[in-house]
Amino acid sequence: MKFSQAFRIFVISGILALIGNFIGFKINPIDALPGMVILLILVVAGYAVSRVSPIKLPSIAYISALAIIASIPGVPGADLVVKYVNNVQFLALCTPILSYAGISIGKDMDSFKKQGAKIVVVTLLALTGTYVGSAIIAHLVLKLTGAI
Amino acid sequence: MKKKSDWKVHLLALVMVIIAEAIGTKSFKLGPGNVLLLPMLYALVIGMFLPSLKLVDRDDMEIASPYIGLSVMFLTAKMGTNIGPNLSKIFSAGPALILQEFGNLGTIFFALPVAVLVFRMGREAIGVSFSNSREGSLAIISDLYGLDSDEGVGVMGGYITGTLFGAIYSGLLAGVIISTGLFHPYALAMAAGTGSASMMAAAMGPTIAAYPEMETELSAFAATSQLLTSVDGLYMSLFMGIPLTEWLYRKLGGKPAAGKSGKEAAK
Repeated sequence: MKFSQAFRIFVISGILALIGNFIGFKINPIDALPGMVILLILVVAGYAVSRVSPIKLPSIAYISALAIIASIPGVPGADLVVKYVNNVQFLALCTPILSYAGISIGKDMDSFKKQGAKIVVVTLLALTGTYVGSAIIAHLVLKLTGAI
Repeated sequence: MKKKSDWKVHLLALVMVIIAEAIGTKSFKLGPGNVLLLPMLYALVIGMFLPSLKLVDRDDMEIASPYIGLSVMFLTAKMGTNIGPNLSKIFSAGPALILQEFGNLGTIFFALPVAVLVFRMGREAIGVSFSNSREGSLAIISDLYGLDSDEGVGVMGGYITGTLFGAIYSGLLAGVIISTGLFHPYALAMAAGTGSASMMAAAMGPTIAAYPEMETELSAFAATSQLLTSVDGLYMSLFMGIPLTEWLYRKLGGKPAAGKSGKEAAK
């Protein structure tokens, strides 16, 4: 995908999230706009770095790293980043993702129907296993190290 | 991809966002706890009905597919900004965050026995049980066994199941586990980061709703766990997940691969 195409999708996706943020969380888009622009800058910068960087890592690794650095207390502007991004709700960013996922889901349906219920049950057990397994270890280690 | 305008896809997404957010978050009692239904789940369910309503065709589906990954990047950025202010908390929780990564191997112990002993599945069981069957898992199986193999059929089935039901199921599961009160919210947040953005978001929804005063810390722990999984997931699967799954498969008396010696199934 060309960079300009990706940029266009970032902007559209950001607008969708702003609208959802308004409808679902009653946050005025004007108030949420600075936070969304900050997120957009982080996304575009991380995406751009991943395309030119000699270290081949997925874009989300770079985006995440930039966002962490931009929000560390003491880094210039970090308090503003945190303050404005707080006006963009976590859940409002999730809805556009699953809207696109919903639109594309049909293409996986046919191959899936051939496999039957067994594979569904086993997959859901696997998902249960990773969640519960991680929760048990995390809880025990947090207790043992006195973090909670 | 064909030269087809994608405006229809974006307009549909817009309508889905508006409907989903207008319905808003609903909760209902299920057994011991409250289950949260979040707008993102409505969006996915609306999407499942679009083909039968003749609102989308194959091209639209192909167009929308890469947009999932691009819109996930906003969520990644948002979660990153929650990590910065919480770095000191994360360092103090460091051992738990790192060690809980081994919990991702829990897939094997929950899924493989049922696949082999109850459903009598063959080596498909290995493909579907060794991980949570996301994109990285497809890559590993295709590298080790090929996607046309039995193991490949298994991981593809898991991948599609996860894509279709993973978010819905993760949200319900998290709601039920939260309601047991067995786990500290920090542990639940770390557990939510399993390598799939939509499943993590779905599992975090009820967690944040149950502990709104901890939102930033919880989000930071989930994001860090997610990040760790994206770094170690491949190695964890390759060096621990697959060997462990193969070993347990033999212990459970699973059928050997066609053409391999029957000795492996001796137990």
